[in-house]
Amino acid sequence: MFLVGSFFLFAAFLITTCIFVIFSKNPVNSVLFLVLAFLNSTFLFILIGAEFVGIILAIVYIGAVAILFLFVVMMLDIQITTLMFNIKRYIPLALLFAGIILAEIIYLTVFKTSKDNLDTFIRSKNNTEQIGDVLYTEYFIDFQLSGIVLLLAMIGAIVLTHVYRPTIKRQNIESQNSTTAEDRVKLVKIKSGEGIKDD
Amino acid sequence: MTSLSFELTIGILKIFSFVVPVLVSVALLVYLERKVLGAVQLRKGPNVVGPFGILQSFADVLKLLTKENLLPSSSNKFLFIFAPMLTLILSLIAWAVIPISSTYVIANINIGILYLFAVSSFGVYGVIIAGWASNSKYPFLGALRSAAQMISYEVSIGFVIITVLICVGSLNLIDIVESQKNMWFAIPLLPMFVIFIISALAETNRLPFDLPEDEATLVAGFFTEYSSISFGLFFLAEYANMILMSSLTVILFLGGWYPPIDIFPLNAIPGIFWFVIKVFLILFVFLWVRATFPRYRYDQLMRLGWKIFLPFTLIWVVITSAFLFYFGLLPN
Repeated sequence: MFLVGSFFLFAAFLITTCIFVIFSKNPVNSVLFLVLAFLNSTFLFILIGAEFVGIILAIVYIGAVAILFLFVVMMLDIQITTLMFNIKRYIPLALLFAGIILAEIIYLTVFKTSKDNLDTFIRSKNNTEQIGDVLYTEYFIDFQLSGIVLLLAMIGAIVLTHVYRPTIKRQNIESQNSTTAEDRVKLVKIKSGEGIKDD
Repeated sequence: MTSLSFELTIGILKIFSFVVPVLVSVALLVYLERKVLGAVQLRKGPNVVGPFGILQSFADVLKLLTKENLLPSSSNKFLFIFAPMLTLILSLIAWAVIPISSTYVIANINIGILYLFAVSSFGVYGVIIAGWASNSKYPFLGALRSAAQMISYEVSIGFVIITVLICVGSLNLIDIVESQKNMWFAIPLLPMFVIFIISALAETNRLPFDLPEDEATLVAGFFTEYSSISFGLFFLAEYANMILMSSLTVILFLGGWYPPIDIFPLNAIPGIFWFVIKVFLILFVFLWVRATFPRYRYDQLMRLGWKIFLPFTLIWVVITSAFLFYFGLLPN
């Protein structure tokens, strides 16, 4: 009773916050609602007993990804009216993705698994150990492949955005650290009436 | 139904038994900081209010409470008020999983250390929301600096935690402490211990890494526009976070509630006493560092985080796991 009640509570919150992500006028508010949505999905994961997945979702998405979103969005100067106008252009694409995800969910829940088998498999051990047992053995190739995909995305992003500007002034830490007082200050004895000779 | 309400009462009492001492020790920590700084700089420090000035922080809190709470006219009102509350809430909910003895903890969960890591990484939201909602340039710059700094140092904190977890084989905080019964992890993992303390300084925005509130360049950083009790909440949260990070250091590296040597007069003393003493020592290091070192420049801070700590901790994770694997010391 308690579990079912909290599931519906969090699920309702999740859907509400997602709607606010799309329809709030200020992009910063959208990102903050997105954070709330991530938090609610964390709670949902914890409710089904997958506390490891839930908390990793919180660390990665709330603790890193959403902060970077917030970082970028805060510094943008966006005209709100054009943003609302552009939203209609994305509807076909959004419907396509929604369709794909729905199809995946139906495939996984209805056709792929026999549920009771999976359930005993999950409950038999602490789910962190469970993931650790299979991640580097059964799913080794998939794990490494997803790592390579992430690495490629990272390198791609750097290559696309990094422009080498030779005119920019850079810090040379080694030369800063190896500097001594003699490099900076020179004591000169000046004879009275002659002034400093420039050499 | 009675058993439920009984459990609820016990739970609430337990929460109070953590929150109230934390808040009181924040007041005492502020007093201690001013006394230590005074001693280092050959001054007396606070010595007027109460015996030895010990009531100084309580007087300061009363002063803050009676001031007017100003709202800047161009700020985002809701987020402006929400940010300090969020910061304090996050620094207090982390105490839910901190075990102060082998039995006394509010929630003994499987993934305690990940929960702490998650909550401490949420801490940056309070700062960044405060900086943005103030709608003013110094707070905004402070918030950006803080976000970049906290994310950078979280990476090395993560690797340090992973090294400890490899040695323990569990994410539960009580298991982590109990596996240090014979030897504290500060001895075999000394470099990681040092890196963890330095990263904790950066994570809590303490000197020498207090660039988010760098008064020489940013007035007061992200809380420039805050006054009265909303400033007080940030202040409280910063010191509560310091105590939290010190407790985490004690749990991960200094053997939690265990005495230094397991012999008679030492192990007869209750564990909570050892826990508090160790937390106090780490806090003293925080204050000592503040009084000793000048502030880092921002690019030096980033260089230390990404180019020194990150490769070093990464290599140390590999070395530790290879060592444990080769000698068959990996925990089951």
